Amino acid sequence: MIEFKGVKKEYPGGNVALDDFNLRIDRGEFVFVLGHSGAGKSTFLKLILHEEMATEGKIVVNGYDFTRIKNRQIPYMRRSLGVVFQDFRLIPTMTAYENVAFAMRVTNVPERRIRSRVPYVLNLVGLQDRARSYPAEMSGGEQQRIALARALVHSPPIIIADEPTGNIDPELSVEIMELLCAISKVGTTVVVVTHEQELAAQFHQRTVYIDKGRVVSDSCPVPSRPTFLAHGTGEASR
Amino acid sequence: MSISGFRYLTKQGLSNIARNKLMSFASIGVLTACLVITGVAALMSLNVGKFVDYLGAQNKVIVYLKLDADDATIESAKQAIGGVPNILSSTYVSKEDALNETKSWISGYDNGAYANVLDGYEGDNNPLYASFRVTVDDLSKIKDTVAELAKLPGVDFVDAPSDLAGTLVSLKRAVNIGGWGLVAVLAAVSLVVIHNTIRITVFARRKEINIMKFVGATNGFIRLPFLVEGTAIGLISAALAFGVVSGAYIGVLEAVSRAGTGWLSSLYFTIVDYNSVWSLLLGVFLVSGALIGGVGSAASIRRHLKV
Repeated sequence: MIEFKGVKKEYPGGNVALDDFNLRIDRGEFVFVLGHSGAGKSTFLKLILHEEMATEGKIVVNGYDFTRIKNRQIPYMRRSLGVVFQDFRLIPTMTAYENVAFAMRVTNVPERRIRSRVPYVLNLVGLQDRARSYPAEMSGGEQQRIALARALVHSPPIIIADEPTGNIDPELSVEIMELLCAISKVGTTVVVVTHEQELAAQFHQRTVYIDKGRVVSDSCPVPSRPTFLAHGTGEASR
Repeated sequence: MSISGFRYLTKQGLSNIARNKLMSFASIGVLTACLVITGVAALMSLNVGKFVDYLGAQNKVIVYLKLDADDATIESAKQAIGGVPNILSSTYVSKEDALNETKSWISGYDNGAYANVLDGYEGDNNPLYASFRVTVDDLSKIKDTVAELAKLPGVDFVDAPSDLAGTLVSLKRAVNIGGWGLVAVLAAVSLVVIHNTIRITVFARRKEINIMKFVGATNGFIRLPFLVEGTAIGLISAALAFGVVSGAYIGVLEAVSRAGTGWLSSLYFTIVDYNSVWSLLLGVFLVSGALIGGVGSAASIRRHLKV
């Protein structure tokens, strides 16, 4: 699914963000990637998204080997990822509905399918009533959930969430994490990049610690079933 | 790309014009201004060219026949002149016509004080030459034409405004090079200004483009709405510029036609007719507007697609 093998990333100016970075995340796993500011989390994400290229080493995401990937393949690789950005990255000129639908439109999904799927996903994140609102008219938490809906809408095999709870209140944070856990149960790989150790600790999932550009710890999940999974979350939990 | 996808992106491009009102307004304003300036320069160049042609046509070459030329000689000279290349038209002026013209000219001079000075020069006493007044087609070849006319049977000598013709030829060349050069420079300046305006528009929306890239949009998918938007802005600007230039041109034509007498009224027949130029003007405006707007905006986003 996601494989980093001996990856080094050195930025112009000599700043080494990742060095001999090795990590393998398999299908259906739920992984927290933890680290302090400057540990290399953002570079890790940028490399997965092919926003930056590794200086050394091999990266494979969903079968796309980044040492061999062609420019025209990059959009298709990105479509296999659902990304929730820390700063949401919603298109300000589009309504919540349009923002979510856009991720389907780029993959040429027929309009009829978009019309049925988008309201369903908006309902899943509890924002069916905000479909016509623009990002500027919504709170940080609502925007975060729209970003999550956009990441989920085309059912990608990998969901990557960058500080998904960074801009929302603790109650909503748990709700969003519950949703992500439920999604991973149906075979979707979920990678949550965060600096909130307490949040990660609540969910008993695989946790990877990054420090100074290297994986310093990779703990296995505690074999217990979190209580929140009992609630179920609609289509994604089926 | 599916038809519904194409329809969606086209709609997006058109609605982006309304969404980005300020930048759309700025782009339309700049593009319209550039097209108006370029159009006015092109029309002026066309008109100056036509005026120079008109001046050239006013300058006649006079082919004087020998004093003893009889009717047969005159007829054969007429035939021979018709066979010389570069002749647009020729008019025969008999000895009598020449005398009458001269009398008419003299009688108008100094309140008719010399009106009778040519009395008695009629008939066999007429000292004036019969002639052909010839208009040449291409003034730049006037010297060769005059040389050929001088060799014709029955011709005594040829009077031609060769120096003036040379001046007019140079003037026309200057108008062609200067006028169209000015149009080219203005078009180039317009392109730079429009390119920068579109770049600012695109720069303001770089975040939007960036987001599109990260949700997996292909470059073509991102570019199409910008292409539609740019082309639509170009076509709107072209229509506005056509309206402004046409209105102004028709206004000038009406002012000249109302002038009645004087030098301004004499210009009327030398001005390029609106009916013969409007379709060309509209076509050039629409094509260049659509190309500048469409290609300009599609090219401007290229830099932001490299993510």
